[in-house]
Amino acid sequence: MRRGSRLLAVHAAAVYVFLYAPIAILVLFSFNRTSQTAVWQGFTLEWYRRLFSNELILASVRNSLIVGAATTAIATVLGTLVALALGRHEFRGKGATRSLLYLPIIIPEIVVGAALVTFFGVVGLRLSLTTVVIAHVVFSVSYVAIVVKARLSGFDRSLEEAALDLGARPLQTFWRVTLPLILPGVVSGALLVFTVSIDDYVITSFVAGVGATTLPLQIYSMLKVGVTPEVNAVSTLLLAVTVVLILVAQRLHQPPSERAES
Amino acid sequence: MRPGRWTRVFALAAAASFAGCQRGEEPLPQGPGEKKLNVYIWSEYLPQEVIEEFQRRTGISVRYDLYDSNEPVLEKLQSGVADYDLVVPSDYMVRILVHLKLLRPLDKSRLKNLGNLDPRFLDKDFDPGNAYSLPYLWGTTGYGYDKPKAGREHESWAPLFDPANKGQILMLDDMRECFAVALKFLGHSLNSTDPAVLKQAADLLKKQKPLVKTYNSGDYENILASGDVSYAHGYNGQLAKLVAREPARFAYVLPKEGATIWMDSVCIPRRARNVDAIYAFLDYIQEPEVNARIVNGISYASANVPARRWIRPEILNDPAIYPSEAALARCEFLEDIGEATTILDEYWTEIKAQ
Repeated sequence: MRRGSRLLAVHAAAVYVFLYAPIAILVLFSFNRTSQTAVWQGFTLEWYRRLFSNELILASVRNSLIVGAATTAIATVLGTLVALALGRHEFRGKGATRSLLYLPIIIPEIVVGAALVTFFGVVGLRLSLTTVVIAHVVFSVSYVAIVVKARLSGFDRSLEEAALDLGARPLQTFWRVTLPLILPGVVSGALLVFTVSIDDYVITSFVAGVGATTLPLQIYSMLKVGVTPEVNAVSTLLLAVTVVLILVAQRLHQPPSERAES
Repeated sequence: MRPGRWTRVFALAAAASFAGCQRGEEPLPQGPGEKKLNVYIWSEYLPQEVIEEFQRRTGISVRYDLYDSNEPVLEKLQSGVADYDLVVPSDYMVRILVHLKLLRPLDKSRLKNLGNLDPRFLDKDFDPGNAYSLPYLWGTTGYGYDKPKAGREHESWAPLFDPANKGQILMLDDMRECFAVALKFLGHSLNSTDPAVLKQAADLLKKQKPLVKTYNSGDYENILASGDVSYAHGYNGQLAKLVAREPARFAYVLPKEGATIWMDSVCIPRRARNVDAIYAFLDYIQEPEVNARIVNGISYASANVPARRWIRPEILNDPAIYPSEAALARCEFLEDIGEATTILDEYWTEIKAQ
């Protein structure tokens, strides 16, 4: 028994090393003193300094933040509304709507990207940051809706009924009772969307236009000219932001009782 | 900068014409346009200071986005809704863009500095008479090698076919480039269409396959730098940067048998609107001193002859960037070989599947 569990621990450790060693090395080499990618020659913050004086990268970070914030705001509202409709009401085509919800997540990104750029071409919408935001909202709404819907499934409707009984108007009930209860789901959905939006490469590469280079596009264009520690540095920062957001989202997504235990 | 995968490009182009995306028949946007210029260009291909001076001089504000392969250029221009005024595709992509009617014909009467361009780089097969494109930067496809491991100097393609180097060779994952190596090594033109000659080249590449560690077009210079291979077939730009970093260990060879020469050209998308700004910029980058600053900034060769006076000697005299006249005379552009492409495709599939 004990031997078995030790083996299991070794196996688990090996899996984690396999998954995380490349990332750890990337982070480590962002502090490497030489620009060569394969040899360690001492600690430096030089690449981070250069990163913050590189206008192209800074502009792309700005673009990514704008897109991330706009996408999060729009997708969170729309996604929450979809989840409420699906979780609360019976209507014709509900089954189809529910299935369609998963489509943007399941369809290969490259197909979504190609479809969107064709669509923008047909309606004559010039490619810009706006088209990037529209594209991100398209695949983000589903994430929010799914997360919020999960939260709604354990929802005790008698609380709302009580509020209505006690004289609250429907809208009041929503703001004072429903929303606070589903808020952890909404927030974790929003954080998830922000993360996905900040990270997206494939769809963005299709729909980005003049002056709409986002951070992942920028990193990729730098990569092809040769991996520099600047790329490692900016990837490390991106990674840090993403990890923090995911941890926060996860924590919010746990029911309060589990959170107390963990 | 680097020719991509032919098959994928042709598939894209075919799909596009199938979808009826050709907008060639529309009238060209007229008028001078705004004092703005949107440039879509390879990353690290246009120094910031060169852009800043243009903005200072003309009051035209330049915005630029970067790409890392030719395909996004095709995709953006085909969408019909990307507002780019200038793009810089490689030779084979110029051919495709011209074919799909996605480019605007050049008005040469508006270009004062055309005379600065070396005729060697004009009137090429991909754009006869330079109706749509002007040379920007060019280079060659040779190979880089690890000098201590090789133990001797090289000047031929021979080591890439030497069984003694088994497992130490990297080849570009590019059909035309690999065939170019084989054809040149056998003493033929790299645009040969003779089926017997192509078979010979294919047999040579099949024999070479067991010696090749990997076919890679993305980061071959890093694989060479890390020591995983000793010989890496590749474009001079990336390899020259590696050599400049560690001249004692690496060298770039433009083989004596001859090699591919590639060129990236400046083109105007058909729907570009800021016409005055475009021509101002096209003239500006071919001013000798400005052009020299571009070359000095990014270490690629340009086609501008009088610019050479201002180009740093270590770049001008680097045979990996500016090869000698004699070496250059043995190089060829990859041309459209028509039907023969199908033959190569079949051989290439056999080689890769072997």
